[in-house]
Amino acid sequence: MAAIFPPAANLAAKLVLLSLAGLVLAGIGWWWLFPRTDYARHVDWTVDQPVPFSHQHHVGGLGIDCRFCHTTVEVAGNAGLPPTYTCMTCHSQIWTNAALLAPVRRSLAENVPIRWRRVTDLPDYVYFNHAIHVAKGVGCESCHGQVADMPLMRKARSMTMGFCLDCHRDPAPRLRPPEAIFDTQWHRTPDTPSPAALMAHYRVGGRNLTDCSICHR
Amino acid sequence: MPSLKQWRGLDALARDPAFVARAEAEFPMLAKAMAAPTDRRGVLRLMAAGLALAGLTGCDAGAQDGILMPPVRPASGTVGTSGLFATAHMAQGYAEGVLLRHAAGRPIKVEGNTLHPASLGATDAIAQAEILGFYDPDRDITLRRGRTAQSWQDLVTALAAQRARAEQDRGAGLRLLTGRITSPTLARQIAELRAAYPEMRWHQWEPVTRDAVRAGALLAYGQPVQVQPRLDVADVIVAFDGDLLGSAPGHLRFARDFASRRNPTRTDRMSRVYAVEPAPTPMGLVADHRLIAGPRDLARFVPMLAGAVLRDETASDAPPWLAAMAADLKGARGRAFVHAGPELPAEAHALVHAMNEALGGRGATYRLTDPAEAEPVALADSLAALMADMQAGRVHTLIVLDSNPAYTAPGFADALTRVAFSLTMAMAPTETAGLTHWSVPQRHGFEDWSDGRAFDGTATILQPQAQPLYDAISPHTLLSLLRGPAPVGSRDAVRATWAAAWGESLDTRWHDSLAAGLVDDTAVPVSDVRLRDAAAQAIPPVPDGDTALLLRPDPHVWDGRWANNAWLQELPRATTKLVWDNPLLLSPAGARALGVRNGERVEVRRGDAHVVLPAWVVPGQAPDTVIATLGYGRRDVGEVGRDVGWNVYPLTGGGPVSLRKAEGHDALASTEHHDPIFCDAGEYVRHTDLAAFEADPHVLGHEPPLDSLYRTHPPGPAAWGMSVDLNACIGCNACVVACMAENNVPVVGKAQVLHQREMHWLRIDRYYEGAPDDPDIFLQPMLCQHCEQAPCEVVCPVEATLHDSEGLNVMVYNRCIGTRFCSNNCPYKVRRFNYFPYAQDEHRTALARNPEVTVRARGVMEKCTFCLQRIAAARIVADIENRPVGAEEVVTACQAACPTRVFSFGNMAEGGAVVEHKKSPLSYALLAEQNTHPRLTYEGVVRNRNKDVGA
Repeated sequence: MAAIFPPAANLAAKLVLLSLAGLVLAGIGWWWLFPRTDYARHVDWTVDQPVPFSHQHHVGGLGIDCRFCHTTVEVAGNAGLPPTYTCMTCHSQIWTNAALLAPVRRSLAENVPIRWRRVTDLPDYVYFNHAIHVAKGVGCESCHGQVADMPLMRKARSMTMGFCLDCHRDPAPRLRPPEAIFDTQWHRTPDTPSPAALMAHYRVGGRNLTDCSICHR
Repeated sequence: MPSLKQWRGLDALARDPAFVARAEAEFPMLAKAMAAPTDRRGVLRLMAAGLALAGLTGCDAGAQDGILMPPVRPASGTVGTSGLFATAHMAQGYAEGVLLRHAAGRPIKVEGNTLHPASLGATDAIAQAEILGFYDPDRDITLRRGRTAQSWQDLVTALAAQRARAEQDRGAGLRLLTGRITSPTLARQIAELRAAYPEMRWHQWEPVTRDAVRAGALLAYGQPVQVQPRLDVADVIVAFDGDLLGSAPGHLRFARDFASRRNPTRTDRMSRVYAVEPAPTPMGLVADHRLIAGPRDLARFVPMLAGAVLRDETASDAPPWLAAMAADLKGARGRAFVHAGPELPAEAHALVHAMNEALGGRGATYRLTDPAEAEPVALADSLAALMADMQAGRVHTLIVLDSNPAYTAPGFADALTRVAFSLTMAMAPTETAGLTHWSVPQRHGFEDWSDGRAFDGTATILQPQAQPLYDAISPHTLLSLLRGPAPVGSRDAVRATWAAAWGESLDTRWHDSLAAGLVDDTAVPVSDVRLRDAAAQAIPPVPDGDTALLLRPDPHVWDGRWANNAWLQELPRATTKLVWDNPLLLSPAGARALGVRNGERVEVRRGDAHVVLPAWVVPGQAPDTVIATLGYGRRDVGEVGRDVGWNVYPLTGGGPVSLRKAEGHDALASTEHHDPIFCDAGEYVRHTDLAAFEADPHVLGHEPPLDSLYRTHPPGPAAWGMSVDLNACIGCNACVVACMAENNVPVVGKAQVLHQREMHWLRIDRYYEGAPDDPDIFLQPMLCQHCEQAPCEVVCPVEATLHDSEGLNVMVYNRCIGTRFCSNNCPYKVRRFNYFPYAQDEHRTALARNPEVTVRARGVMEKCTFCLQRIAAARIVADIENRPVGAEEVVTACQAACPTRVFSFGNMAEGGAVVEHKKSPLSYALLAEQNTHPRLTYEGVVRNRNKDVGA
């Protein structure tokens, strides 16, 4: 009786088995790797907003300080969104009929809040506090990226616990002189005080910043 | 099993083997589950389901609500920082000044108002729980007539018709029934109504009347004056079934004063306290001598003591301690104070007044003042008159404000059928609102303008803390509609009252009063009435019958008005540790005589009424006394309180009492045996008496901590520590509720408590020592001890619980996989496991939670964090200001609420009170032999015993 499988079937069977194993491995790899990609973490995704507000125009172009709108960034956990009233200080004078700004005008006229979508959304069990970071020399750019170059706001960093811990383990290189904290275009120059000098200036280092209790409650 | 020197309950003392096995197990339900026959397929099925469900939950990326941008900047401070706004909590008609802590623009936590005389910065359990009441979804009731919803215009129209009718008969058929009222604005509005309708009558009713106190003052002084004790001045205090530390108006202040003289390391002269009482009261729990006396004995002992104090008489049948007590009182002339509780007869109060005058305490250990009520009346008489008129058909219009007589007064519901127009205003469903023609939703005190007076008359203007959550109106508006067609808003009504007093300076004084939470110089004046000679001759009637039935308000749900508050329902009562129930409390001797054990039913008959209640045996209760607790068995109430316990108001009627064992058994949830601690010495609460302490201050054994090979000192810049003064704890439970409010601690319900799954981060353990009939009772607040060498940390397989550099034992919820090893290994039994998604299952809106604290999910362990969120907030402020966190900058929730300053907490690296208290010779670490190096230490109990009184 002739053999059921020709010799070539050996090769086919091996290939099939190998590709199956490969598929399983690839699947595991995908399962492990995909959540760690910037895609899955929505890094650099822009988000549809009720009004296409441009930080590039307002910050980069007009040079408005971060704190003009995000008023509580130095005193509270939340940086704060400006009330519609703040927008209308200018927009009652310029672009008064722009269709893009209709939701803003309606908000003030009808006393309804504008509901923005969050670009960076930390989990609820993380108690991030803007005030302490700003007070200790962490620039806005360190987490929020070059907003002055963003026509539409997007998430600039992964905002994972690893991202936070990188800095909490070794804050020195990320610190800025006080005058540069809100400067979106700042770069370290030869005149900049050394990281060690900035650590001393801000008195960072006394507390163990990697304690769980620093961020979680 | 823990040793028997100090024991938690009669079951433990009896050493029933089945009980011992259950009580010793950390997870009693586990053994039961292991014993249940589950086949292999069943296990596999459950595992597969678990895996599949776990996978599904991983798919949810979390919905996004977005972030709101307000049109105009909110006026109420900065979003993201917290603010404190003053108002008052009204209890039994009296104001207790509070501050509400706001977060994200809404009130989330009640704190005491340091400036307010009835608070001094502290709060009681009920005030703490009021924030849950504010967010209670059951408050969402509609304006209705009969069963039909109505519009507000319908109400205005209906009231216009009643106004017309009242104008015809000059108000003869118009009756107003309220609770006790101190509010100047309500008083003014009622006075205006009376002016408009001269024959209208105003009745007041509280089921817990204090009528005997008033009648006693009338007997002694001819006027309803009130006594304001100064317990910080009194060296010798005798309390006959006293309520000064528990529920008397002003009790927070009295407790603060009282505690200031109870720790011999902090006071030059410790006070001596005798409590003569039928069942343990807060005062009795900390008294130097707790003497058991039923109502009949009390009615005999008060005149005997009066005889000894006033006339140096010695009664032949006097108890052995009476002479020593009288001698002690007389030896402390001008520094002695005698107190009688509200359940003693008026004659006993008169005698106590006479004794206090004779002991020279007036002006020193107490003051006599005018009453703080707008119109002090005998409440029982006031209601009886109303019900008689209703039965006689003399009432055509009845307006019930904030009172629930259909539940609290037998016969009222029947009388109500004879009233043509009846209206109830209430915050939530009540039995009365269900029976009257109209039911009008009332605004909660935290969302309305009003005013009220404290026990000493000090007025507070209540300001709204938020927009009204539900469609309701103010009582001030309702009263204005009885007067005229135009409704008056509550703010206008309150301002009108104070405008009359302040005139030109209204705006500034209004602002100052709101900011401070009280109106300056409004205390009632000290009275200069003279004692009548007859007071010393009063003879209290001795109740007849073998058994005395006492009907007492529940310390937490009170007369039933807070029955829908889950925090208060699930709050273990100070001595019985019962939750969600109101069994009949029996003495050990009484239970033996009836042949009942805990949970077995007893039929109580009084006159025509009878109620069947399960029994609960209370060590240290008077043998001839049984106690039934009011406030339970409500039918028409929100979802939480419906049909919890049994209604004993039918027994208020009077008549001879008889008890009979009935068939059946009820499972009662008491936490007394939960979380057992095993202590080699058998002495959890170390105690001694003052003489021994003075002979050797280290009599309690101040052993230095043992050495350890692995000892590590947390290196951080701050060192958090706590000291708990056991001399001061009166078991009021304010700390427990404060902890729940601050830390989003869920309630679990009676069924889960029966499985030992209550979630309180802070509990108050109660220990007995001695014979069950008359034991010494000790209290011990128990919370995470934040051990430096924590046994929980070394057994966690995932490092979900570990130490931080500042000495906190922290719990990382996200790492926790729920092995419960930590809880098993915790010698103090302070860890709590979320067997079910308790927080998600709560009858509570997300809005009501503290946004600064994680809401824990199913399957994770949790425990006291020393209010980490408060530490974090202080840490951030201090770091911004480049300074260390101050020694006493962080105040934990329990510490802030405590009326007697049991807790001291702080950054030990900076010194402060906690360091001082830890140096006290009384200070000891619980279970020191386990070498856990706890950051929490206790100060042992010293009792100032009189050697002439037999133990």
